[in-house]
Amino acid sequence: MITFLIRRVIQAVTVLLAVSLITFGVFFLVPKMSGSDPAALFAGKLTNPEALNGIRIKLGLNHPILQQYWDYIGGFFHARHFDDGPDKTLCNWPCFGYSFKTDLPVSHLIADRFPVTLSLAIGAPIIWLTVGVTVGRISALRPRSLSDRVSMTLALAAVSLPVYFTAAVLRLFVVYNWHWLDDITYVGFTHNPWLWAKNLILPWISLATLYAASYARFTRASMLEVLGEDYIRTARAKGLPERTVINRHAMRPVATLIVTLFGMDVGALMGGAILTESVFGLPGLGKLGYDAIAQHDLTIIMGVTILATFFIVVANIVVDMLYAVIDPRVRIS
Amino acid sequence: MTTLPGDASALHEDFGEGAPEPGTPAAKAIEGRSLTQIAWTRLKRDKVAMTAGGIVLFMSLLGLCASFIAPHLGGGISLPHSTLIDGDTTLPTGTAGGMSSQHWLGVDPTFGRDLAARIVKGAQWSLLISFGATFLTVVLGMCAGLLAGYFGGWVDGLVNWLMAVFLAFPVLLFGIALVSGMPTHAFGLNYLWLHVVLLILIIGGFGWAYFGRIVRGQVLTLREKEFVDASRSLGSGELRIVFREILPNLVAPTLVFISLQIPTNILAEAAFSFLGVGIPLPEPSWGGMLNDALNTYQYDPAYLFIPGLAIFVTVLAFNLFGDGVRDAFDPKAGR
Amino acid sequence: MSNRRSKAAFAATSVVLAIAVAACGSSSSKGGSTAPTSSGVAPTTANGGTGNVAAAFNAGTKGVVNASTKTGGTLNYLATADFDSLDPARTYYAYSIDFQRYFSRTLMAYDAKPGVAGTKAVPDLATGPGQVSNGGKTITYTLKDGIKFQDGTPITSKDVKYGIERDFAQDVLPGGPTYNMDMLDEGQKYPGPYKDKDPNHLGLKSVQTPDDKTIVFNLASPYSDWDYIMTLPTAAPVEAKVDLDPATGGAKYASHVVSSGPYMIQSYQPNKSLVLVKNPNWDQSTDTIRHQLVDKVTVTMGLDSDDMDKRLLSGQGDIEIESTGVQSTAQTSILRDPKLKANADAPLTGFTRFFALNQNVPELSNVDCRKAIEYAANKVDLQTARGGPIGGGDIATTVAPPTLPGYQSFNDYPSGADNTGDLAQAKAELAKCGQPNGFHTNIATTNKGKGPKVATALQAALARVGIKADIQQFDSSNYYSTTIGTPSNVKSKDLGIQVVGWGADFPTGYGYFSAIADGRKILQAGGNSNWAEVNDPAINAALDDMTQTTDQSKKDADVQTIDKALMAGAYYLPFTYDKALTYRNPRLTNVYVTGAAGMYDFVSIGTDDGK
Repeated sequence: MITFLIRRVIQAVTVLLAVSLITFGVFFLVPKMSGSDPAALFAGKLTNPEALNGIRIKLGLNHPILQQYWDYIGGFFHARHFDDGPDKTLCNWPCFGYSFKTDLPVSHLIADRFPVTLSLAIGAPIIWLTVGVTVGRISALRPRSLSDRVSMTLALAAVSLPVYFTAAVLRLFVVYNWHWLDDITYVGFTHNPWLWAKNLILPWISLATLYAASYARFTRASMLEVLGEDYIRTARAKGLPERTVINRHAMRPVATLIVTLFGMDVGALMGGAILTESVFGLPGLGKLGYDAIAQHDLTIIMGVTILATFFIVVANIVVDMLYAVIDPRVRIS
Repeated sequence: MTTLPGDASALHEDFGEGAPEPGTPAAKAIEGRSLTQIAWTRLKRDKVAMTAGGIVLFMSLLGLCASFIAPHLGGGISLPHSTLIDGDTTLPTGTAGGMSSQHWLGVDPTFGRDLAARIVKGAQWSLLISFGATFLTVVLGMCAGLLAGYFGGWVDGLVNWLMAVFLAFPVLLFGIALVSGMPTHAFGLNYLWLHVVLLILIIGGFGWAYFGRIVRGQVLTLREKEFVDASRSLGSGELRIVFREILPNLVAPTLVFISLQIPTNILAEAAFSFLGVGIPLPEPSWGGMLNDALNTYQYDPAYLFIPGLAIFVTVLAFNLFGDGVRDAFDPKAGR
Repeated sequence: MSNRRSKAAFAATSVVLAIAVAACGSSSSKGGSTAPTSSGVAPTTANGGTGNVAAAFNAGTKGVVNASTKTGGTLNYLATADFDSLDPARTYYAYSIDFQRYFSRTLMAYDAKPGVAGTKAVPDLATGPGQVSNGGKTITYTLKDGIKFQDGTPITSKDVKYGIERDFAQDVLPGGPTYNMDMLDEGQKYPGPYKDKDPNHLGLKSVQTPDDKTIVFNLASPYSDWDYIMTLPTAAPVEAKVDLDPATGGAKYASHVVSSGPYMIQSYQPNKSLVLVKNPNWDQSTDTIRHQLVDKVTVTMGLDSDDMDKRLLSGQGDIEIESTGVQSTAQTSILRDPKLKANADAPLTGFTRFFALNQNVPELSNVDCRKAIEYAANKVDLQTARGGPIGGGDIATTVAPPTLPGYQSFNDYPSGADNTGDLAQAKAELAKCGQPNGFHTNIATTNKGKGPKVATALQAALARVGIKADIQQFDSSNYYSTTIGTPSNVKSKDLGIQVVGWGADFPTGYGYFSAIADGRKILQAGGNSNWAEVNDPAINAALDDMTQTTDQSKKDADVQTIDKALMAGAYYLPFTYDKALTYRNPRLTNVYVTGAAGMYDFVSIGTDDGK
């Protein structure tokens, strides 16, 4: 088990390094290809070449690309000193660098936006997991019944809707036409838990709709497959109560599937839900990354991308661990 | 969000179904029917899937002929009608976003261009990109899965690691950065086609890991089967085995994957266009129209619903058809 | 001259700086007549008016709304993003410069009055306008008595000089207007105060401070608009000891700005909020422009645009400080509800929106081909693309906006009776330039905001006469600096038509035209604003004349010379005089549009409910 964990962690680290290197390379090279100069970005309207050069030194852009990458990654392990140029600043660990455009520390920007993304990534998954698995389970237990057909049709329909369309339609009716809710702004949980939840209901529902439908379909398909297996027939033949058959024996393989998906989906969500945040104007990591891309602000882009990848990778490890717990066969291999 | 196709190896057992009645003409020409033919027969019986298939066909044809159809709808995709726009609010006059006998789906705000024409043209891009991306994913995933599954060892390890890397990428973020950072002309393509190619590469290129895993799983199972051993003992080379024995058995999961990946890719292209890095203006795209509609949907909801429903109906039809295809190949998944 | 003063790259309606005055003096308006002239377009009357007016639609452009001397309360400004900088040396956005009036006093400043009077530079820290000598090359100011920083330190001429010297440290403090550096360096290559070898860091030779109350500027050539340069925050006094302290100065000064005005910064959370409170060391007797009416000023930043509009209309906020106008949903709400409409204004921002027709691109080298474009443009569609007559602006036929002194209305290229374009004339021009079936070119635009819409409208209009224009979209972050600001890039990418917007940094003809029409100022390395690459000796001569003469009527004549030459050469295709639909909370007092900025004069505003 321990060796398994160690192996996975090593793999995760290599993946993170690979992703960060590729991201850095792409985001570094692409602006060059399109002719935009990060130093010019910081400088605004200025085109005085000496001043631009001074800015380039300050941002460390005069070093070769691998050196810049190395310095950047180093920031995750120790504090960094920025003392090229006229300012001297100390960037504490973990150092995500400074925004090209606003000179604000990226770690502050990320820390600021993270609660919003976290709120989305906690609320929506709870909703979609409960709803999706329950609906799928009920459908599987009553295949081809009316409720089964109806819920599966609805599920298919929900999966076919773009999330931003759902979000916009919900907002149109719930906020503007029926006035059930005031318009959405983000209120911090520590600020006011009631308002926090009230404002997040619509974003949660918009996100959850898509995933719940998908999970319902998965659960149903998986359960039906399992219920046809021999060992279920054996369990029933042995006289076990139906409840036990379903919950203890049938759900296990289903659980492994759901856990895998859930882990990956939540991991991806922690990196920011760009589409939902855009529609509702929520200041989360997704929007931060999106805005930074529009501005070619490399340090913010790197920070958000690495963070998002980190979550995905960690989620994968957690999922694998859970998988090993649920399915003993995995532990042995 | 694709569903996992059932285990293809189970399909080998399905020969009994549909055997012709003795005495009928078909009985005289008894041949083993291939898996695909069996599935096709089953599919034909599934009314819902066939209806969905009809819509799929219709949308595909629409997309194919969009350049010929669109100019004849209400003036075409670029012709503005300022008389249909209220100068102060820049919204279409009339009800439901300006629907009329000349403009069956109304007109868009600010310019008053025919919406039906723009929806039709948008179909072209959505379908072109999603088909192209799916094709790319299948090709890449197939190669990767075959290599990893068949040769195993360090090849498998390397491919697995690559898959992990690609699956860990925040695709949307990365795609946005790549597209928005590109210069306006590259590789001899103009702005529009450069974006189309980029989208196909990004959407298709990042999906290979998922399909690769499926293929790898199939290959792993198949290569242990007796007929492979038999073939090898008869002296077939490795390559021949791959092509003769393994590939045909991959047809089923591939078809299923394709029919379910296309709608996913339609949604992906729409997402990119929604975020402003897909099909560039002024070329119409469904996602782009939705983004535009966000500015005015309180007062012009038609402009929000029409492209939204276009996406919905198309994706739903593909999904239904895909479900039908999957069920046709593997009835145990049960409907 | 700033052009792309748009704060959030997406919103793209730019902010303006300055100008005003009047149409009152010039030609067309006889009590604001709107009868169409022979040019086919109703002449626009600029923001004007004096005196107090009752609240109604556009009242803020006609006078002071809800005039009152009531004190107390807190003003709540709303914004989608942070200021470009709070550091007076680094800010360039018009609304930010308008906001600096709260805490950065300057030698000269705009009077706090609506209409023509508000575009005059009047003495603020100085006792009078600059005393000119030495053939216009030496300008002397004397400082008032009793002026202090917020910490009680008296403001001296050396503080003003130091503030100006900071503009030279462009590697540390980039972003603001560079007039001081451009005009006061005179070959010295002054490196800025941080690298200054002088023990007091006052090594700039062209500026002398013989005593604490006197400051002398020595220019290389006469410049009659110098008083206007001195209104910019880049000339605001800065305490050297604060700026040279590494904890509070240099790039960090933006978070530690020391106030010389009626309010000072209490707290600043970048991208989140800013709070101003009264400055106890500001003396009303030294300040003829400002008052301390409200107790507190807050700015809430980082709001979503639609959310911000909702707060504004519901009364939770007072003013959208970026002043670029509300979004289309709010625009529709305002225009359809008479109660809301009575609290809205649609001032002329002082910007003109136009296309640059670059003559160095082969297909546009012939003036008749460019004239064909002028005639074929559909001005109504362009206006609608910008947001309509209220949300976008009035149809433009000249490069100079109506708010510029010297503006006169004329129309060299009438676009037909309904302003949708004169296709017959366009085709005639095409025949004249040898392209009877049209030609191909590209339209350059940013990829967000109204630019793509405008480009689309022009594309459709030109297609009617066979001119095939492809739209090329570029990232807005470097659109002006690199994409269309580098002539070689324009030529290599064949960007014949460029979507641009332009407003002057201060309300004079030179301030408006110098960067966009001076043939000697085509910057090849980037940041070029003479997009059409005009080089006309008559225009150059008129520009020179404007800086030499102090006679306003001569300056006005020069404006006309330039404007007419630009239109005759079909170098620019103007289509709207920019307007922004803004909304004022009915509880606000002393609200008026200042001619100097094309938006509300923030520093004058109070509340009548004391909250």
